[in-house]
Amino acid sequence: MVKMVLDVSGLTVRRDAVIAVDNVSFSLESETDTALVGPNGAGKSTLVQALLGILPPSAGSIRVLGHAMGPQGQLPRSVREQVAYVPQSFAVRNRCPLTVGDFVGLGWDPPGLRLPWTGGERRRSAVAHALRQTHATNLTDRLISDLSGGQTKRVLLAFCLVRPRRLLVLDEAQAGLDSQSAEQFYDLLFELRRSEGWTILQISHDLDMVRRTSDRVLCLNRSLRCSGPPDHALSATQLEEVYGRGFVPYHHRHAP
Amino acid sequence: MSIETPLLELLQFPFMQRALIGGLLTGALGGVLGSFAVLRQLSFFSDALGHSALLGITLGILLGLNPTLVLIPFAVVFALGVNHLVQRSQLPADALLNIVYSSSLALAVVALSFVRSYRGSIHQLLFGDILGVSWLDLGLIASLLVVAVGYLALTRRDQILLTLDEPLALSRGVAVPVHRLLFIVLLAVVVAISIKAVGVLLISAFVVIPACASRLVSRHFNAYVVLASVLGGVCAVLGLLVSGAFDLPSGPCVVIVQLVGFLGALALVPLRTVLGRAPGVRRSATR
Repeated sequence: MVKMVLDVSGLTVRRDAVIAVDNVSFSLESETDTALVGPNGAGKSTLVQALLGILPPSAGSIRVLGHAMGPQGQLPRSVREQVAYVPQSFAVRNRCPLTVGDFVGLGWDPPGLRLPWTGGERRRSAVAHALRQTHATNLTDRLISDLSGGQTKRVLLAFCLVRPRRLLVLDEAQAGLDSQSAEQFYDLLFELRRSEGWTILQISHDLDMVRRTSDRVLCLNRSLRCSGPPDHALSATQLEEVYGRGFVPYHHRHAP
Repeated sequence: MSIETPLLELLQFPFMQRALIGGLLTGALGGVLGSFAVLRQLSFFSDALGHSALLGITLGILLGLNPTLVLIPFAVVFALGVNHLVQRSQLPADALLNIVYSSSLALAVVALSFVRSYRGSIHQLLFGDILGVSWLDLGLIASLLVVAVGYLALTRRDQILLTLDEPLALSRGVAVPVHRLLFIVLLAVVVAISIKAVGVLLISAFVVIPACASRLVSRHFNAYVVLASVLGGVCAVLGLLVSGAFDLPSGPCVVIVQLVGFLGALALVPLRTVLGRAPGVRRSATR
């Protein structure tokens, strides 16, 4: 098993000709939990989108499970299948007539040309297993547009779980959740991380949660300002360096 | 045709048979592509293309060529151009589409004023002439239906994921830019081929109304697409029969039948809510 899951070197990413991420280098070891923190507009989502192949980098290199990512985010299918992504929100989920079971099944299917009737029984079994693991079996026939914020996050985890993955990337997983739902989500996430052997990279504004749960913290404000264990990276001095003078840590909560 | 003409007698005419087959195929095609176009917020694209198509038709008339055959490359160039503009410009897509289609319409109307002799009429261009559908048109529509259904069926899972959330689809390795472009080109060609039958003003209804009606009552994606195409085909056939029986313009009759179908689906939503599971949308306030 490859010990280095992700290796980023000198990564620069532009958004509309503006440098959003500047010369960032770091690596993620297998089965670690790394938090990416920084103020709004620091380039966290841009960095994550580049790592997932959604945005093309302007410079630098990204290696996933030892394979170099192509300039347009290309990865071998076998590598791509081992990376999963939990977005902050679904842009159009309210309009799509899709049940939870069908949605989770989309995580099982590899992209590309396929006959519509292939993989039926195996997919159904994998979907049922993933929904069981995320305690969401009762949601199988619900429309994804009918789910609450907490239920949506559990279903997204099932989408990731439906195939074995190595790297899980979460963009503000706690967004839209009240404190109780966020606690429940993280309990489930860490239970799955242990059982599935996931390596996690997550954007978070909740510094308390990061301090309690992460092995390592990357502090980003366009460039990487610090990295290390939470006690070091989230010290008052380092936080001032990342967030600016006079920064006071607080319990970050998104509106439910 | 007068109102007294018996419908059965009307159905004996080859032009009416071609019209019914053409309506069925065009309606089904509009329903299939519309079910994806509506969810991807491309409804206005088909409307803008329909209006802009008048310029393509006018070019065909001025060049002395078959307007349908001129319209296909015109629609493809339009689709590629608009897609490029939307991707590159910081202006909202609906504003860009408005600029393109109103300019095309203006140019077309001015160009049409120079056309001395044209066998058809402006009225036919605007509202369609499904009774004038030829076997060549039917062949084109049928081929396009096969291509569209084949493409969407073979890439069904990618298409759903792309419709649902583009970043999520990209993260799964779906070729989003390729599929987005192919779909827009396909939609443009379908609009171009259907315009002769439906007219430039009403073409977007074929894409939008059956899909919206189906969305209101569907809980599964497959059922949604199938129902949209069935509704599209059935509404077109019923509309043509009404048009033939009462000697009314064909395109508007089809759209009115589609509207009735949509209102019927709208009426079903509260009924389904009362009976149990609502297929519709739960608003964020209830989250």
